[in-house]
Order: sequence, then C-alpha cells, then structure tokens
Amino acid sequence: MDFNSSLRIAATGLHAQTARMRVIAENIANADSAGKAPGDEPYRRRIPTFQANYDAEVGGRVVEIGRLAYDMSDFSSRYEPGHPAADESGFVQYPNVNTLVETVDMRQAQRSYEANLNVVTVTRQMLGRTLDILRG
Amino acid sequence: MAVSNTPFNAATAAYSNASRLINQAAKPTADLTATAPAAGGNFADILAQNVQGVVDQGKVSDQMALDMVSGKANVVDMVTALSETEMAIESMVTLRDKVISAYEEIMRMPI
Repeated sequence: MDFNSSLRIAATGLHAQTARMRVIAENIANADSAGKAPGDEPYRRRIPTFQANYDAEVGGRVVEIGRLAYDMSDFSSRYEPGHPAADESGFVQYPNVNTLVETVDMRQAQRSYEANLNVVTVTRQMLGRTLDILRG
Repeated sequence: MAVSNTPFNAATAAYSNASRLINQAAKPTADLTATAPAAGGNFADILAQNVQGVVDQGKVSDQMALDMVSGKANVVDMVTALSETEMAIESMVTLRDKVISAYEEIMRMPI
C-alpha cells in the first residue's frame, strides 16, 4: 500500500544522506593530505550528486547517489620548504577542501536525514491513527 | 457452500469488504461504490491469505535482523523492513478484532 511506498522512498533518502555524510567525512579527514613527492597531486575534494530515478517496485521516484564529482577548483599552496612534497621554490600544494564549507554541508546532510526520519515517523503515526478508528 | 444470510456469512462478507476496501484504497481510481460479492470466500481462506502475507513480510524482517547481528545488513534497511512488518501486523490484528466483535454481536441477537 502507499504507506509502504512512503517508507521505502524515505529509506532511499536516508541511504543517500548517509552516502553524502561519507563523502563529507572523506573530505574533512583528508583536508591536509598533500602529495607524497614533489609533483604529486594532493587530495582533490569530491562533491556528491543526487539523482531521482523512478523505481517501479517501490512505486515512486527514489533518490540515488549519482556521480561523485571532483571539485576542479585550484589547490592552495603553502610555503613549507622541509616538506617531502615541496617543489623547487619550497611550496607544497594542499587539498582544495575548506573545512568550514564541509561543516555547513554536514549540517545540511544532518537536517535532510532528520527530515527523512520524520517522514518515516509520521507515516507510521498516520497508519496507527487510522487503525485507532476501528479500535475505539 | 450456500450463499445465504447466516450470521457467519455476514461476518465473512464484512471481512471481505474490509480487504476489498484496503485493496481499492491502494488504487484510488477504482470505483468505491461497487458492491462486494456476497459472502465472498471462506473466512478461513481470507484470514489465511492475510496471515500468509504478514508471515512472508515477517520472514524478510527476521532475515534482516540476522544479517544485522552478523554485520551484513544496515540499520536503515532493517528499520524499514521491521516497520513494514509492524504496520502489517497491526492492521491485521485490528481487522481481526473488529470482524470477530461484529460476529459476536450478531450472534448475541435474540432469535
């Protein structure tokens, strides 16, 4: 019935937000991962994308995590002549991850997750209240 | 099976009406004013069908719980499966209670 569809669609939302959290965790953990040798590229930030797909079995448009795109903005460099990955002028390239931006993304992922949890809770409440009509 | 107006058949008709309405509610374009078949089916058959549906869903949930304990399934899938089972069981129990109380009320009618 439609209650089950709502539950399953919300479950895909929860999966998608969990995957988004994983990408954010990767970005934050690797915020300082410069390369190992001169000329190596440091860690490049990844951005999760979502897409809506119609799922006939569930009976609605579910969300799925799409391509994990690379953020092609420039790397930042710092002057660290002693670093193994420093080039001739002593600059080391660091990942293009801004921890503040990632933290805000994390809050958004948390809010989206909570919204999907609300859908699950309210669907169950709706069914419970409907059945209460018969019990009363 | 005689299609007469015995109280037992009236209760059976009530139960089959209830299942029919649930099925129709899932397809909102169906004609809700269509009349039900009189005494549609054996009460035991209908109840068995619904119980089977709940049992099948329950098996899925049990498998999920086992996978969860062994570390293979994840929390979201398990919670979804268990919620569906719980909702199915709750619906079935409520319907069963209502139909049985309707049957008892009819049986209490003085002859």
